Amino acid sequence: MLVNPASYKDPAGFVFEQNGLIYRQVNKEYAPFYNQLMQSGLYSFLTQKQWLLPHEESDQAFNLSIDSFKVLSTPKLPFISYSYEWSFEMLRDAALLTLDINKAAIEHGMILKDATSFNVQFYKGKPVFIDTLSFETYDTSRPWVAYRQFCENFLFPLFLEYYLDTDINRILSAYIDGIPVNIAANCLPLRSRFNLGVWLHVYVQHSVTGNSKKESVLPFNKVKMQRMVEHLRQVVTSMKRQSPVSRWTNYYQGSILSDEYLSEKEKLFRLFISGIDYAQALDVGSNDGYFSNILSEDAAEVISIDADSPCINRLYLQSKMDKRLNILPMVVDISNPSPAVGFNNTERPSFLQRIKCDLVAALAIMHHLVFTRNINPKLLPELFRQLTRKWLIIEFVPTEDPKVQELLTQRKRFHSYDVLIFENDFSALFEIEKKAGIPGSMRTLYLMKKRD
Amino acid sequence: MMNLLYVDPGSGSYLVQMIIAAVLGVVFYFKSIWWSIKSFFTRSKTPDSTKDKVND
Repeated sequence: MLVNPASYKDPAGFVFEQNGLIYRQVNKEYAPFYNQLMQSGLYSFLTQKQWLLPHEESDQAFNLSIDSFKVLSTPKLPFISYSYEWSFEMLRDAALLTLDINKAAIEHGMILKDATSFNVQFYKGKPVFIDTLSFETYDTSRPWVAYRQFCENFLFPLFLEYYLDTDINRILSAYIDGIPVNIAANCLPLRSRFNLGVWLHVYVQHSVTGNSKKESVLPFNKVKMQRMVEHLRQVVTSMKRQSPVSRWTNYYQGSILSDEYLSEKEKLFRLFISGIDYAQALDVGSNDGYFSNILSEDAAEVISIDADSPCINRLYLQSKMDKRLNILPMVVDISNPSPAVGFNNTERPSFLQRIKCDLVAALAIMHHLVFTRNINPKLLPELFRQLTRKWLIIEFVPTEDPKVQELLTQRKRFHSYDVLIFENDFSALFEIEKKAGIPGSMRTLYLMKKRD
Repeated sequence: MMNLLYVDPGSGSYLVQMIIAAVLGVVFYFKSIWWSIKSFFTRSKTPDSTKDKVND
């Protein structure tokens, strides 16, 4: 049995894994709230809407601890991602889901006691709430206990990304409990103060925080609570970021490499994947997800990562619209993936600790790692060996390639890099199964199989 | 900010929620006045236009 290290905080219960299945123990302390969740109709409402991950009560005797009330078995999600790996729209949708769930809970006589972004995961282009134990009885005379957590985890990051028109994933990964109000208040531009939502939730909160010597609880009521949740919803909905044009937008369309190159590469790619079996694929440097789409056609689960947040945002919007796609887009820079953070550095594992796929596609990424990030190409086979269980499709881009020449006009070349060295280095860890030059370019596509 | 370490995570947030609720209450009050003025004029338009027609 493996207790999830992220579960150490919650006295209501904990998550553990056994024989590849995910279970959640409900402690006796939480029993009245669990019963209320099930009997009030809230659970069936939330699961019908597919807002909450469903569970079944397990009759297996685990005998984990004396305070065990029930053990629930829940479906295992293919991959766990964190808010610092989401694009703007993903964080926004996760925030809206949290508010919608809270609204439904209030209508059923309960309320969310936690509003952390870690309680939301993405599955098949949709956010889903995973923590069954986050509900408690709603006391209408009290304000929302998780309000500050909601602000720090969702509202402040969204405000910052919206008003600064940038991505703050890196900053989010440093603040595991969310962005503190003083950081938000000091970083947001002056013009944001003219927005009622920002003024109330950031500036008023900032001036009040820490000044409350005595907790004077004036009675709150349900109307006030519903009005506040509705207001938060309006604030979040009104933040519509115009899809920023990034360096990588129109990478395929505007590329000096010809249409012939792209269609020939697609043909080869389809040929390579048709002969292999894979259930999970990772597309490294996915850009808009042109090849992620192809990988997803065979009902495979695809994880698409790119350092460029606008690209991932567009891919998310596409996967949200197209229900057939099973793509999880994530803002991850493979040359600097998300670190392990939290208590003991085990609470939230690093990206590399979480990822393992049957197939890894690394198309037109190698030259960026070598020439832009200055990574020694000799280190790359080991990286890909870690990422894949079996297959690797990798594109080699030679120094003579016009795109590499473009890169080299601005920087010095450090590492020895050519196709023979590449093949030699990768052969130590992989067997080269197929290899083909891509017509319309000087590039080569490889299908490799990991050596046992 | 050291003093925050000894403050319950919910506190302060209660006070701010009370202020927010009060502000939203005022906003809601003025909005409802605005809506009633608006609906008064939109309602009064119909008889006006029929009157015009009668005069024509």
